[in-house]
Amino acid sequence: MEELGIQILKSAVSGLIMGLVFALVALGLTVIFGVMDIVNFAHGEFLMVGMYTTLLTSPLLGVDPVLTLPLAGLVGAVLGVMCYFGLIRFLLRGPMIAQLFGTFGLMIFLRNLALLFMGSEPRIIHEGWLVGKSILVGPGVVLESTKVAAAALSLISFAVVWWFINRTRVGKAITATSLDAEGARYMGISTEYMNALAWAVGGASVGVAGGLLVNFWPVEPGVGLLFTMIAFATVALGGFGSVRGALVAGILIGFIVNLPPVWDAILRSIDAAGLRGMEIHSFKYTMVYAVYFLIMVLRPQGLFGWKQ
Amino acid sequence: MTLLQVNNVTKRFGGLVANHEVSFQVGQDEVVGLIGPNGAGKTTLFNCIAGFHQLTSGSVIFDGEDITALSDFQVARLGLARTFQIFQASGDLKVVENVMVGSFMRTSSRGAARQVALEVMEFLGIADTAGEMMTELPVAAQKRVALATALASDPKLLLLDEVGAGLNHSEIDGLIELLQRIHGERGVALLLTEHVLEMVMKLSHRVIVLESGRKIAEGEPAAVVKDPEVVRAYLGDHYVKRQKENGDA
Amino acid sequence: MEAVKNAFDFGDMPRSELWLAALALAFLLWFPAMPHSSFGMATMIQFLMFSLYGMGWNLIGGYGGQVDLGKAQYVGIGAYTTAVMMIRWDVPFWFSMPVGMALAVGWSFIIGYPLFRLKGHYFAIATIATSLVLKDLFEVWNFVGGARGLEIPMKGDMPNWLYLQFREDYYYYYVILGMLLVGLIYMNGFRHSRLGYQLRAIKDNEHVARSLGIDVHWSKIKAYAMATAYVAMVGSFHACYNFNIEPEDTMSLDLSVLIAMMAMLGGAGSMWGPIIGAAILVPMKNYLGSWLGGQAGFAGMDLAMYGLIIMIIAAAQPRGVYGIVEAMRARRR
Repeated sequence: MEELGIQILKSAVSGLIMGLVFALVALGLTVIFGVMDIVNFAHGEFLMVGMYTTLLTSPLLGVDPVLTLPLAGLVGAVLGVMCYFGLIRFLLRGPMIAQLFGTFGLMIFLRNLALLFMGSEPRIIHEGWLVGKSILVGPGVVLESTKVAAAALSLISFAVVWWFINRTRVGKAITATSLDAEGARYMGISTEYMNALAWAVGGASVGVAGGLLVNFWPVEPGVGLLFTMIAFATVALGGFGSVRGALVAGILIGFIVNLPPVWDAILRSIDAAGLRGMEIHSFKYTMVYAVYFLIMVLRPQGLFGWKQ
Repeated sequence: MTLLQVNNVTKRFGGLVANHEVSFQVGQDEVVGLIGPNGAGKTTLFNCIAGFHQLTSGSVIFDGEDITALSDFQVARLGLARTFQIFQASGDLKVVENVMVGSFMRTSSRGAARQVALEVMEFLGIADTAGEMMTELPVAAQKRVALATALASDPKLLLLDEVGAGLNHSEIDGLIELLQRIHGERGVALLLTEHVLEMVMKLSHRVIVLESGRKIAEGEPAAVVKDPEVVRAYLGDHYVKRQKENGDA
Repeated sequence: MEAVKNAFDFGDMPRSELWLAALALAFLLWFPAMPHSSFGMATMIQFLMFSLYGMGWNLIGGYGGQVDLGKAQYVGIGAYTTAVMMIRWDVPFWFSMPVGMALAVGWSFIIGYPLFRLKGHYFAIATIATSLVLKDLFEVWNFVGGARGLEIPMKGDMPNWLYLQFREDYYYYYVILGMLLVGLIYMNGFRHSRLGYQLRAIKDNEHVARSLGIDVHWSKIKAYAMATAYVAMVGSFHACYNFNIEPEDTMSLDLSVLIAMMAMLGGAGSMWGPIIGAAILVPMKNYLGSWLGGQAGFAGMDLAMYGLIIMIIAAAQPRGVYGIVEAMRARRR
């Protein structure tokens, strides 16, 4: 029984921490979707680029990985704007199917470019302020300080983006465009400019998320897909286009991903003979997909969404 | 005999009341016009009758059957066809194939569907466009194709939503004659909403006037246009006052 | 009877297209007799397989306008059904293939019912999700070999038509070519069926379709089931042709997207589109992979270029190669 209690505590804490990182990853996707109804399949690849940016620039500049976060954000923003002007702008004229495939092509392109230049072996940061230290929170609950710091930093980044969107003139223009693009155009807000800006904000936030993530998650060219799917699930749960929803849903998804070990502990504690050897935690991402599917079917607008 | 019976239909969207306690009937061999100023709730009422919206309260009886709870496609299968205000031209289908989609409602045979489609197109005078793509046709012809598609499903009642919109004078005259023939020769009852009042007045046996979602008048076209309520609804209060003053003077 | 007549009625196609199709068929029939490398033969077999996958996708994605990015799960169901039945119960291919198709169709009804309540992006992403869930399940399911997959043992006596085991590739080639012809004829019949017309009306405008008595939700589910049958059939063939199968190569998202790409590149919603798309994409992918990835040692370069090409097509000509042909034809008129 005691094991179960510890496991629940452990899962809750790591769920909250991972959830905050997931929220930051999903933030970029939801901003872009809100403004122009386009789903970016290459979102996870943006994350990968952010991860590699921190991984490579930190030893190059001789600074701690944490200090390269603004750079990761900048690279993400530039990548976002480049993608907008080089690809997305043309896709918007076509049918929805073209948008899906266009961003999918972008995903394949970025992933394999990374493979070409970086090789396929997973890499991770070995030295840094955040790496390898841990805090003992309670009996048997050890926290990696990396993850705690990442969670705190992602909360800060989230707050910055939230402030930008809700409190600055430009940010309000983004909101106006996402609510009613045509109306905003009559008010003298250039849709083109707003779209590019959304891609910059989206790219920057996911770039920072990548820079944080690489402190405790190995990066390899194919790392993106899992996070793309998690981001889709997060955004679907929170409501497509909702910033607040992305935060709440990110944390919920964090809990969902960290729930299966609790079930395993339950199974162990009741010693269910027939289920022995069946480790539910190998399904943790399967559950994310299942959750996405269920949300879409039961409540398509998500928790906080206004678009359907 | 009564074909369509609308009983106390109310439709609310959130706090907005689009239709309030509207009741009327359409007979088997009637042409009924539904008029009213912009935003009077005509299209909403159509959508309620056709099963596209679920009613807030009230009921709709069609051909002796309660269709209140039915979906739009089930209503259509009972013989209640409709045309849409905004008609989008098709990209993939030829004109005749488009009309066939209508006749496929009554048959699963391609040959039979094609035959019905061609016959209806002949009747509407657009047989020569059969092989063309929808996108290549002018608007007036596209509207006739939409009409043909609805007719090909062999309806008892046809709801026409602003069929005259966007047409010029001579096209409207052609359309009036066409609708009269649809009613006369095919025995299809018509219920139409229209901005072009001239068209409603010429066609309808009876006119129903909606304002702010309520029925404010019903009767023969000539009588309805003289109804002070109706005049006020269309032209505003001060016009009525001035008319009265002029009449008194 | 009329259904059969419809399937063989090519009268509504331009004469020029039919001549080209006849020429292509003649080439395909003769190909094994011509000098070719084994790599070329493998590429041709893949081309035929992907033509069929693409035709399945096109049925719901092209004619119906429902962008499905989860077709790989049905490849997996077909392939695994055949492999499991062959390994465990020694069931011949020709019996296990219909069973696989039936299982896949059954599964497609189960998930199709909730799936088709969604539209657009939401639908597309949900199809990915269902496919990935199934893949994850197969990866931990010991009965089907888990992540390592299954290997079909050789029977010894070749050629074995019952179990589809051949030493020479041209046997496989003719089997899959036969399937393609059957698939084409069936597709032509579908195009002329009531559901075929209704589906295109749904793609145009769902409200209008409903006003014409079409049960949109059910029609989509039916078409989805037919599309599934195509994909599962080729999945069964895949199991016999490759001997061993694993979740990663039969159920991955990459495969789903590749299938959809075939149809889109060639021209979604046209009969020949998926075949044109496969004829371009499969050789391109294989030869780019072998030259850049294999021989020159630039792993990743081939797929990066492939991604770039996808982007260019999506941005410049979303209606695909067949769309270009149609545009040219319209201009000439």
